Amino acid sequence: MLELQNISKQFDQKVVLENIDLKINSGEIVSLLGPSGSGKTTLLNIILGLTRIDQGKVIFNNEDLSNVDMKNRGFNIVFQDYALFPHLNAYENIVYGLRNKKDTASAEEVREYIEFLELKPHLKKRIGELSGGQKQRVALARTLVTKPKLLLLDEPLSALDGVIKESIKERIKSIAKEFNLTTIIVTHDPEEALTISDKILIINQGNISQFGTPFEIINQPKNDFVKEFILRQLQIKRQNIYNLFGEKYA
Amino acid sequence: MRNAKPEMRVIFIIILILFFAFLIAPLLVLFFRSFVTDDGGAGFSNYMEALSNNTLISAIGNSIKVSGATAIITTMLAFTLAYAVNFTRIYQPLKSAVKVGILIPMLIPTITYGFAIMYTFGNQGLLTKLFGRNLFEIYGFNGLLIGYVIYTLPAAFLLIHNSFKYIDKKFIIVSKLMGDRTLRSFLNTVVRPLLGALGGAFVLSFILSFTDFGIPASVGGTYDVVATQLYQAMLGSIPDFSQGAVIAVMMLFPAVAGVILLNYLERFNFHYDKFSETELTPSKFRDSFFGVTSAVVLLAMLSVFVVMFIAPFVTAFPYDLSFTWQHITGIFQSNDLVSVYRNSLIVAVLTAVLGTIITYGSALLNARTPIKGKQTVDIFSMITNTVPGMVLGLSYLLLFNDSSLKGTFIIIVLCNIMHYFTTPYLMAKNALTKMNPDWETSGELLGDNWIKTVYRVILPNSVSTVLEMFSYYFINAMVTISGVIFLVSAQTTVVASKINELQHFAKFNEIFVLSVLIFLTNLLVRAVCDALQKRAAIYKK
Repeated sequence: MLELQNISKQFDQKVVLENIDLKINSGEIVSLLGPSGSGKTTLLNIILGLTRIDQGKVIFNNEDLSNVDMKNRGFNIVFQDYALFPHLNAYENIVYGLRNKKDTASAEEVREYIEFLELKPHLKKRIGELSGGQKQRVALARTLVTKPKLLLLDEPLSALDGVIKESIKERIKSIAKEFNLTTIIVTHDPEEALTISDKILIINQGNISQFGTPFEIINQPKNDFVKEFILRQLQIKRQNIYNLFGEKYA
Repeated sequence: MRNAKPEMRVIFIIILILFFAFLIAPLLVLFFRSFVTDDGGAGFSNYMEALSNNTLISAIGNSIKVSGATAIITTMLAFTLAYAVNFTRIYQPLKSAVKVGILIPMLIPTITYGFAIMYTFGNQGLLTKLFGRNLFEIYGFNGLLIGYVIYTLPAAFLLIHNSFKYIDKKFIIVSKLMGDRTLRSFLNTVVRPLLGALGGAFVLSFILSFTDFGIPASVGGTYDVVATQLYQAMLGSIPDFSQGAVIAVMMLFPAVAGVILLNYLERFNFHYDKFSETELTPSKFRDSFFGVTSAVVLLAMLSVFVVMFIAPFVTAFPYDLSFTWQHITGIFQSNDLVSVYRNSLIVAVLTAVLGTIITYGSALLNARTPIKGKQTVDIFSMITNTVPGMVLGLSYLLLFNDSSLKGTFIIIVLCNIMHYFTTPYLMAKNALTKMNPDWETSGELLGDNWIKTVYRVILPNSVSTVLEMFSYYFINAMVTISGVIFLVSAQTTVVASKINELQHFAKFNEIFVLSVLIFLTNLLVRAVCDALQKRAAIYKK
């Protein structure tokens, strides 16, 4: 279980996060949803250990990690643009971390990850030869091989188009389930957040606007921000789809 | 990345120490020295003495005149060539020939240019023989002008050529569609976007000519310029260190003004994110005009160097033109000249290896770490860009004259590294900034320490840049004379400074053979680096 207690962060006098307080259960997928500049990426970096907190605590499985280095927290991230190493091929990227800690994953386990992510036909390809979806899966594999206790995903779908987006969404859900892996996703897209997550943390101007399941967000929006910026967008989308297919398919 | 790692701090401290000891301290000593009077006090008397020295004043006037004329001619020629390469549909192999051929002078020491000019335009010169009469007096203004133009043309061409890539050719089509006449269209869509680069080429050519020593040392004759005055003051019959310091400070002024001007001109440059490939409209007149002009310019430039490859292979140029290996074998039998060439190789290899390491480390700290005070490296880079080689060499002489560094290879190598720091530093910084900023974090999460990520990820992805930096340092260390003229000793003489000695004994065959050796060595290094870069490029994309 990941617990954030009263987290605050300022950059040069500017308050970026204020009194963030929440609990995330093991194996849950939680989305951090908010407009750009809301502080969601900062919160992700704080959990990762990349950004130091001014106030509050990060507790994982009852252990206070607030002052533990990023490297020693045992979490891992897939960056928005993947940060794959272009001089190595897909396979070499996936096993990059094993050079440092050989016993994290056995050859058998690596093969399982590769098969699970359907990467077998692409292993010899250079990063530049992979499509967006393939890169995303290679980045996921590289991260999973290190067996993180917590998986962080920064805008995992924003660089992907249409159908690929939906398939990666399913993939992320199945990873969380298969490996019972707590997963935290940063996104600015309400539809994405509400369809992929068990719970959504809506952040606005550094504060928690609402934290709840998709059902709670849709049916009991806590404030105007949630109504105006989150629900309104979905309603417009719904209307557009209705118009395309006709009301009877609703 | 939130905190600077200890290994980053160690590298940063080493770099800071190097720059303070071998850039800041020598320059300060030079500056203070120029104010130390004959009686040991401080004051402006050295400056008063310099300003009442008519030879020096006229030398400054001469330098300004000939550098100004060079800058105008070079800028026009460089623009013409860059235009021909980028905006015309001239014969493709000619474009490639211009792009490669124009760079050839960079592989040869400037002091050789002077002797090549003598052997081409002089009393017994190649072209003089062909035309049957002296075309013009080469010693003095004319010879300097030709030498400086050849010397500055490659740099000016590269500057304008690069800026041409940023011109959006769609503007030309829009301008045509809007009904602009040729001249208006040309001014608006070509000249205006290039204004910064043209000004930059002018300033650059001026500074390079103003501070070069090799060309006036060979073909200057009695036409005094600042560089020869500085040399006279320090290594003439009566060395006068105070006067030398004053002249060096005076040489620094136009260089400082030039760099400030260059930074200002940067504002006029256009920056487009996208390069669009648009087909050029055909024009017979334009293409034949630029085709012929660029061929003539290129041939004229290269023809000056032809003699360098002929003279050493004939018995007695230009009187007895029968072929002989005699001069070549003579050189290789002379222990003296072979050891000079070996010295040059040692200096160039050490400069290239150590220089690349230091510049890469500096750029790495600046571009990819959160270390505090990393901007100081940018300041060092600006200073090295400003200080002429002669001024830097002189300041080393003043500071290290009594130290054990005097007369060693290492002082020459350090001087070269500082002298040529800016370009490879900017190459590395540019390449490193463009890389994905999350690689270090990814590496760390995958169990690397920082050094390991640099070695396993950052370095392999910048191999091409590293090779470019290496060959830049190597070639410049091979050809520079202004930087090292004050620092070489009998044991550490390099080829370029040896040529300066040889001219007093009229040993021109030796001069040309040594120059050809430098040229071929540089060509080889360039070719090897190119080949390795091509291999590295496979990884890219």
